[in-house]
Amino acid sequence: MTHGLARLRALLDRHVVGHDEAKDALLLALVCREHIYLEGPPGSAKTRMAEVAARGSSLGFFFYQMHRDTRLSELVGDVVLERRALAEGEGERIHQTIEPGGILTAEICVLDDISRAPGEALNVLLRILNERKFGEKPIPLLTAIATSNPLRDEYYNEPLDPANLDRFAIQLRVAGLIQSGDRSLARALVDQFADGRVVEQPEPEPVLGRADLDALHAAQARIDVPAAEKDRLIEFLRRLVVDYDCDETNSLLTDRSFLVKAVKLLRGRALLAGRERVEREDLAVLNLMTTFRVPEEVHEKVPELIEEIVA
Amino acid sequence: MALRQGKREAGCVVDPSLLGLARSARDALDAVLLGHDDAKTGLVLALLAREHAYLEGPPGCGKSALGGALARIAGARAMHASFHRDTNASELLGAPRLRRERRGNAERLSFELMPGPLATAEVLVLDDLSRAPGEALSPLLRILSERRAAGAPLPLETAIATAGAADLESYADPLEPSQLDRFAIQVRMRGLVSGRRFERARALLDRDPEPPLRAVLETDQRHALQRATRALPIDPAARAALLRAVERLRAAAGDEPALLSDRAFARAAPRILQAHAFLRGSERVEPIDVRALRFMLARRVPEALEPFVAAILEDSLLESTPVPAPPASTRPAAAAGEGGGPTDSPVPVPGLETVPAPIESIAPQARARGDDDAASVESLVQALLGRLERGAVARGEDPGGQPRGWRRMRRLDELLDADPVDALLFAKGQTTTPRVYRRERRNAGGTLAVLRDVSASMEGRLSRWAGQVVAGLVRTGARRRMRMGYVEFNHEAERFEAGGAFFHRRYRRLLALASRRRAEGRTNYEAPLRSALAELRGTAGRERHVVLLTDGVPVLGDPSVRNERALARELGVKVHTVFLGLGECPEVLDEISRETQGSCFVARPRPDGRVTVRERKGEGEH
Repeated sequence: MTHGLARLRALLDRHVVGHDEAKDALLLALVCREHIYLEGPPGSAKTRMAEVAARGSSLGFFFYQMHRDTRLSELVGDVVLERRALAEGEGERIHQTIEPGGILTAEICVLDDISRAPGEALNVLLRILNERKFGEKPIPLLTAIATSNPLRDEYYNEPLDPANLDRFAIQLRVAGLIQSGDRSLARALVDQFADGRVVEQPEPEPVLGRADLDALHAAQARIDVPAAEKDRLIEFLRRLVVDYDCDETNSLLTDRSFLVKAVKLLRGRALLAGRERVEREDLAVLNLMTTFRVPEEVHEKVPELIEEIVA
Repeated sequence: MALRQGKREAGCVVDPSLLGLARSARDALDAVLLGHDDAKTGLVLALLAREHAYLEGPPGCGKSALGGALARIAGARAMHASFHRDTNASELLGAPRLRRERRGNAERLSFELMPGPLATAEVLVLDDLSRAPGEALSPLLRILSERRAAGAPLPLETAIATAGAADLESYADPLEPSQLDRFAIQVRMRGLVSGRRFERARALLDRDPEPPLRAVLETDQRHALQRATRALPIDPAARAALLRAVERLRAAAGDEPALLSDRAFARAAPRILQAHAFLRGSERVEPIDVRALRFMLARRVPEALEPFVAAILEDSLLESTPVPAPPASTRPAAAAGEGGGPTDSPVPVPGLETVPAPIESIAPQARARGDDDAASVESLVQALLGRLERGAVARGEDPGGQPRGWRRMRRLDELLDADPVDALLFAKGQTTTPRVYRRERRNAGGTLAVLRDVSASMEGRLSRWAGQVVAGLVRTGARRRMRMGYVEFNHEAERFEAGGAFFHRRYRRLLALASRRRAEGRTNYEAPLRSALAELRGTAGRERHVVLLTDGVPVLGDPSVRNERALARELGVKVHTVFLGLGECPEVLDEISRETQGSCFVARPRPDGRVTVRERKGEGEH
């Protein structure tokens, strides 16, 4: 069952050098049917990774480049004004509907440069992502992958509302290989382009089908979570709140994310590791959840904190 | 105090099987969500009393799940509406209908609404109500209170609205008090993790997946419950206790805005009390039922008062004259019924039990009235915040903003945002350009430099107070994602940077700095202002503020800070000043604030240990 995932991972490796953490996180998002948010400087392969992961799984795909004037209708389909004549003398009825398209009909979508869209326009989009329904109708969306550049100075731009970021269960920062100073990876990257391999590579072929993903998702739900690991999860949260002073003003430790989705991600990671039960090392996924939910200086200490709890 | 379900005697108003039904509806909510007893009981009270309910809480704490579950359990025809910034009234009220009549050469056009799903709903779930623009809400909320639409009565029994806590949803406008008042039940929910209830959180991890919800009630039963609730007599003592409770709440709230309206407390509260009495198995409303008021208060009294509400309500009970022993056919007053016989097995309803509070718990009311440091800091921070936002609240037009009214269409692609009827007429060439939404956006973010005097005179109480003001500003800035810079000054200015930048968002670090106590050196206004303005020169944006906290007269540097005032004006930076202490507030603070369109506050410790805060406006102190 995990062969499909291995193929997808290999596909990602073929197209993108390095970024192991982000690639694993993408697979995790697909298995758990959660949304993922990648933030990194321009040219750090965020969009490429998102696209390869999306196209590599043969799902209904929607790519949208966000921009300053992004409007809802570009994401959800065309607005239709419907006019219907009523019975004689009764006048006519005018109704505004939406012809579903874009994100309403896709199974997987890539929302590029999400922070460029006006803050409030995002609200509706993120709501759809969160509830996976539009109006009362469920949508087929499994996973949304959003990318963004870090907002160093938002002089002319609003920072993303942290409550909006909460819609993305998995969140991580991506750094360029050259900037992060990893010489061997940077060299591999240069080689890849110098050899012309990347340029000649055709569009990624689907290596994973919907049936595979359904089976994976079902398998994830069956993974056993021992009481000891649940205790550790609570201890992790307790430490964040009590020792690191994370509260409602500076953090977003919502019950939905950390008591429901966190467990799912623990299971997902165990599944990706080929296990049938969650083990303590799986708590490492919590680091993928705290990136933008706790203050930056606390997030920097999270790997340490996880290590302490696991020890 | 145990609330008990007594043995029903012949001739009782309350049918025990009905009571059982009401309680099983309450218990069925436990399958949806762990804990949150107040919210669950509040919802059931709303259903019994046919009143509307409002649940407020952080994202992901189960508000919507609970609202939806009540509708399901109640077996009611439900309508769910999710609100967003583009919600328009017709989605809720029905499609617009255009009527055209020919009259000779002329054509008459009129416009009316065809009834929408609202016309049939018995329970209405309004998700994220605060996200909708006011224009969409006004007609809806009117319908909620009138329970009539287009002249016809609606089958509507209860509307349940949910909203995020105001400070987390930074793009949503808080609901207005007048809108909120239509929701008799108001309960605030807290997350298990952020509310530090880790044992509950752990228990939640062990829960099995929820079984699908079944309807517990049928329509007839629901209506019978509502009738039985409505029929419960209300003891005169209970009426007196209700009034006493409202008076006490009003007194405790002091000058803080409290919404203790006649609509809520004279009209809705008696029904809620009836529902409370019904649910605890009483056949009459007794003073003890005044406890139900706590399910009504989330947004009606200041949040600072919340921890004391239970105690205030308890006080209004205890002073009530005991109800004279009723005739044999009725039960003794519950307040006196603690030693019940063995047949009276207690049936606790979670959320209905209030921990009795000692009478001396009135003391905290003083705090909420603004008589101690915490409260005065709070009021100062709120006042300052109001000034900081004065510019931000003036919204700018922005294509991604919230609809705030109408304007004429300027570009053809705006047609999507046009009034549907206008757009249609326009397309048929019958009118000039149609109206489109005028969208505006509040300018979130912004930059704030806090300059805190740490000269020798700033010691003890003053220093602590200044620290609290700084901490309050940091918390508020954090909510608005402002970039903040911090300077401590005496004769020189000390800047505190984080990550190599003067302005940053490391609020936690700023809070740690705010709690430092230091008092040495002499006062110099020039140095800190120069330092902060130099940093602000390198930033952009409209919302740039400086708050200067001081207790002294400048004795070093340029006392009139001429250059800095000019620079602040040139940069468009607003300088707000706060003078602490007993001395005379230096005129220069007034001048700085006035010239830069900032504000000037004076905070004076009084002999009795309190602090009063006043804003100086124009010349001299009023």
